[in-house]
Amino acid sequence: MLKITDLHVHYGGIHALKGVSLSVEEGQIVSLIGANGAGKSTCLNTISSLVPASSGQIIFMENDITKSAPHSIVKSRLIQVPEGRKVFPQMSVAENLEMGAYVRTDKREVKADRERVLNMFPRLRERERQLAGTLSGGEQQMLAIARGIMAKPRILLLDEPSMGLAPILVQEIFSIIREINAQGTTILLVEQNAHMALSIANYGYVLETGRVVLEGPATELAANDEIRSAYLGA
Amino acid sequence: MLPVLGFTLLGVTIVLIVLLFKFKVQLTLHTAGQIAYTPLMFILAVLALNYLLVGLEADRIYFLQQTVYGISLGSVYALIALGYTMVYGIVRLINFAHGEIYMLGAYAGFFAVTSMGLHFVLALIFAMAAAALAGVLVERIAYKPLRNAPRLAVLITAIGMSLLLQNVGQKVFGSIPRSFPRQFDGLYQIGGINLDQSRIIIFLITFLLMLALQYFVNYTKPGRAMRAVSQDRDAAQLMGINVERTISSTFAIGSMLAGAAGILVAIVFPQIRPTMGLMPGLKAFVAAVIGGIGIIPGAVIGGLLLGVSENLVTAYLSSSWRDAIAFGMLIVILLVKPSGILGRNVREKV
Amino acid sequence: MNIKRHPNHIKGSAIWIFFGLAVLIFVNIQVATDTLDFYMVGVLSVVAINVILTVSLNLINGVTGQLSIGHAGFMAVGAYTTGILSSSFGTSIYINLILSGIAAGLAGLLIGLPTLRLRGDYLAIATLGFGEIIRVILQNLRITGGAGGLGGIEWIDNFYLTQTVTILAVIIIWRIATSAPGRAMIAIREDEIAAETVGINTTKYKVMAFVIGSCFAGIAGSLFAHRMTYIAPNGFTFMKSIEVLVMLVLGGLGSITGAIFSAIFLTLLPEFLRFIDEWRMVIYPALLVIVMLFRSQGLFGTMDLDFGQARDVLRKFIPTKYRTTTQTQDQNTVTFRDDHVVKPEEATNPLLEVHNLSIAFGGLKAVSNFNLTLERGSLHGLIGPNGAGKTTMFNMLTGVFPPNEGEIIFNGRRIDGKSAHEVASAGIARTFQNIRLFKDLTVLDNVKVAYHMQAGYGLGTAIVQPPKYGKCEEQVTRDAMHLLDVFNLSESCMTIARNLPYGAQRRLEIARALAVSPSLLLLDEPAAGMNPQETKELVELIHWIRDEFNLTVLLIEHDMSLVMTLCQTISVLDYGIKIFEGSPQQVRNEPRVIEAYLGEEVS
Repeated sequence: MLKITDLHVHYGGIHALKGVSLSVEEGQIVSLIGANGAGKSTCLNTISSLVPASSGQIIFMENDITKSAPHSIVKSRLIQVPEGRKVFPQMSVAENLEMGAYVRTDKREVKADRERVLNMFPRLRERERQLAGTLSGGEQQMLAIARGIMAKPRILLLDEPSMGLAPILVQEIFSIIREINAQGTTILLVEQNAHMALSIANYGYVLETGRVVLEGPATELAANDEIRSAYLGA
Repeated sequence: MLPVLGFTLLGVTIVLIVLLFKFKVQLTLHTAGQIAYTPLMFILAVLALNYLLVGLEADRIYFLQQTVYGISLGSVYALIALGYTMVYGIVRLINFAHGEIYMLGAYAGFFAVTSMGLHFVLALIFAMAAAALAGVLVERIAYKPLRNAPRLAVLITAIGMSLLLQNVGQKVFGSIPRSFPRQFDGLYQIGGINLDQSRIIIFLITFLLMLALQYFVNYTKPGRAMRAVSQDRDAAQLMGINVERTISSTFAIGSMLAGAAGILVAIVFPQIRPTMGLMPGLKAFVAAVIGGIGIIPGAVIGGLLLGVSENLVTAYLSSSWRDAIAFGMLIVILLVKPSGILGRNVREKV
Repeated sequence: MNIKRHPNHIKGSAIWIFFGLAVLIFVNIQVATDTLDFYMVGVLSVVAINVILTVSLNLINGVTGQLSIGHAGFMAVGAYTTGILSSSFGTSIYINLILSGIAAGLAGLLIGLPTLRLRGDYLAIATLGFGEIIRVILQNLRITGGAGGLGGIEWIDNFYLTQTVTILAVIIIWRIATSAPGRAMIAIREDEIAAETVGINTTKYKVMAFVIGSCFAGIAGSLFAHRMTYIAPNGFTFMKSIEVLVMLVLGGLGSITGAIFSAIFLTLLPEFLRFIDEWRMVIYPALLVIVMLFRSQGLFGTMDLDFGQARDVLRKFIPTKYRTTTQTQDQNTVTFRDDHVVKPEEATNPLLEVHNLSIAFGGLKAVSNFNLTLERGSLHGLIGPNGAGKTTMFNMLTGVFPPNEGEIIFNGRRIDGKSAHEVASAGIARTFQNIRLFKDLTVLDNVKVAYHMQAGYGLGTAIVQPPKYGKCEEQVTRDAMHLLDVFNLSESCMTIARNLPYGAQRRLEIARALAVSPSLLLLDEPAAGMNPQETKELVELIHWIRDEFNLTVLLIEHDMSLVMTLCQTISVLDYGIKIFEGSPQQVRNEPRVIEAYLGEEVS
């Protein structure tokens, strides 16, 4: 569904990605793990075209999107939920959800999706009229994911959804991710919490200083000694 | 008796101001009502001051008369300030050339009325369209190529564009002022205060345009896109918003308002000249900063405040101190609350 | 010491300097022999005044990076001071020059103190506002003659005097810009927060640049007043400020050479091409826009002439036996000065104590009730998931964010609420998660900036440059080179920092922090983005510098292998709360830590 070949990115004078190749099959959850500064976010931002690729190719649904504008990538329903939530702080929860559906024209279905999303996150329903900037970190993360779902994604890229959240909330967010996937959305997950990320994924990639150093089925990676010592602290 | 009335009015005003803040922070509803009572609040405050400070009946009328003049001048500042605020909100740029767009609006209106013989309403629309076009052109030529350049560079470019348009204007339109044909001659009197038709029209049109803008920004899709881009450009892109197009339309709308201001000012002060944009442009920017830059009701509050203050200073002190009041207010607000009356303080991320 | 050319030095500086001198001498001969007509000599005065204005504005806008667009206001203060003195008291031009400079400098101080807290656009608009207010005041005061202006000023248009004043002004500003105070100013331009954390009082240096700049604008105004004999407020409008800004931007913000060149060029151009004069007001702004669009760094960028080269050339003509030796000592024998080595402290109290530290952002508690004690010489780790509040902790410890509650006691003294530069000079240095080097400075200059506090001389010494100055500068350079040696960076000392590879940038940031000669070093994810080999070297390096510099180290890290091998104690932060503290072994086995961070499910 999403296939990246030999992607190179130079970012702020640094060679951030040095030939990354990875692919995501439809219906899967794929995790991309690695230390801070390894290039995980750069990778997602290059897929979304927020950062230009120096060379390499990104194919989504048989279309080359390497050079597409960010808004046209969204139109092909490849949606990213960015690191640090990035909700619109001066807009209400309801408006944020509407922004998620910005490119959609099927008004009736948008309404239905809104209900669906609010059922998934009852806490957001309670705060529908509240400004997003006044929500707690966990609520903002939920809103960011909910906003992503409002775009009716074929594939959802999630960048560190557990960041800054209390452990109990991390559990909650991950079970929601599983649920979204069960409802038919493919997921590419970037996480620093390697254990969590591998526990829900089908397949995983390990990124280190801009290169994929390991890949494999998530269960195999979780059992890999190197991974265990480097990222799982065991 | 009079002081009692004065204090009551002042009290009501304070309550209204508090309510305005509450609305802003608590509710997300940027209702049209909010902007509607900005001027209302203002008039109440002025009345309160009038009763508190001024003793004689004749003095009071003089005071109110000056305030009325101030409000019409302030409306013009507010219209220009709206454009500054919108552009700043979306690209974080002080568009110095905005004052020249206002000047171009006045000239477009002038030619529409004189050479083309258009009706005033058509001339207004023509001026707005011409200004919008000019604004977008300036953006495309001078600012877009510098989208990722240091902000200092863009700011200097904006200063350059402002002076360039002004001086090209001198060469094209000539440096001699032109007289804008009188459009409205009506004069009404209420309680001894003169209200000329043209000033009423300025105020009404300004008011209508502000309402329209508020509606546009809050309840339409492109308006919402603008707000999204101004709050978080990357996130806006991830929503599928075409950021470049949104920026262009922001310039177009802001310039349109400046164009309207240009022709409106000409029906009260019928002398137009190529340098007319410099001072009102700078002052409107000051108004935007006073109200809280990036905040639409803030621009209106700032504009009215500045217009009235200037007129009162002229009336009671001397017209030669007029220019100092705007910049004096600017300095005070920058030092006391740089984010402006309605603004919030932000912290740099480390 | 370093053979390599500084990248900011213009190639073939010596030739250009000699060429410039030749032109100057040629002009002087022309004037002395009355070859130039009266009018052209007058034009030369205008050139000189513009040079002073541009160079002085460069100190504020170019060197220090604070955009001021009200320079004409200060020129006006100087001009009017001279005007009043000369017309009312008939004082001599020498007194007038000095008093005008002082008056404008005072005006600069008055305006700079409150406004320089503002940044970027806001500062620009505030300076514009003040510039206009100065003009309005001049317009309204009786003593200045109101809008009608002030006449009856003694006519003095002495080429030699103007020339001397101009050369002096240029030399003084040049010396400031290239010495320790200047490095502090440049650091502010590059990254204000990083500048604070290496101990630079940014407010002080911003105000200093502003006052000196204003002072010279006032001197230029004084020369102007004597030349014109009559001055009026509309001579000092916003347009005049912009005219100076155009000259500066064309030459290149930050380049004194550029400022001089373009001030001369843009003043003379209309004289030779008359038609330009008529279109001047169109050409100036157009030039400004074109320069910004196509060459935003101006003609010279931040490049400057290197007088050292000219000196070296001249030295060749001096017989060997008269040459003063500037031979430096062998690098290997260089040692750190005493203040580097912390005296064996009798104090047994902990180096750092943190009690109940809390901070909230917009109602969200980022860190709450944090307690920490660091023993002298310890290596302490701070771990936790992303967003747990670790960097916020660092920001509070270094004075970047003032905490809402709690106290920080460092070396027995309360430091919470102190500003970042005060904390740095108390002895806490840090690095940043997303590297904040002075990106456009050389590797060597990055470290030299951080030696700011140990430079050992002030503004006066920088301007006069007595022998002490040379010694201090040499010492700083030597120390900086030594530090770079330690970090394996001396080879690339003349490289612009942004061009270094990632790992080297991280090392340079640590080197820069050490130049502050701290007793506590805070490292924010030093291994982020490093490969395993680099990480391994980093561990050794941290160990080594801890011993060598007598340091206590607190570090944030995600790389468990690094933390576990390096740290004696580890604090675990989660969701703004410290959930555990203990030895690496204890941390590894603590169920709460595993659940929150390491991720193993608790069964």
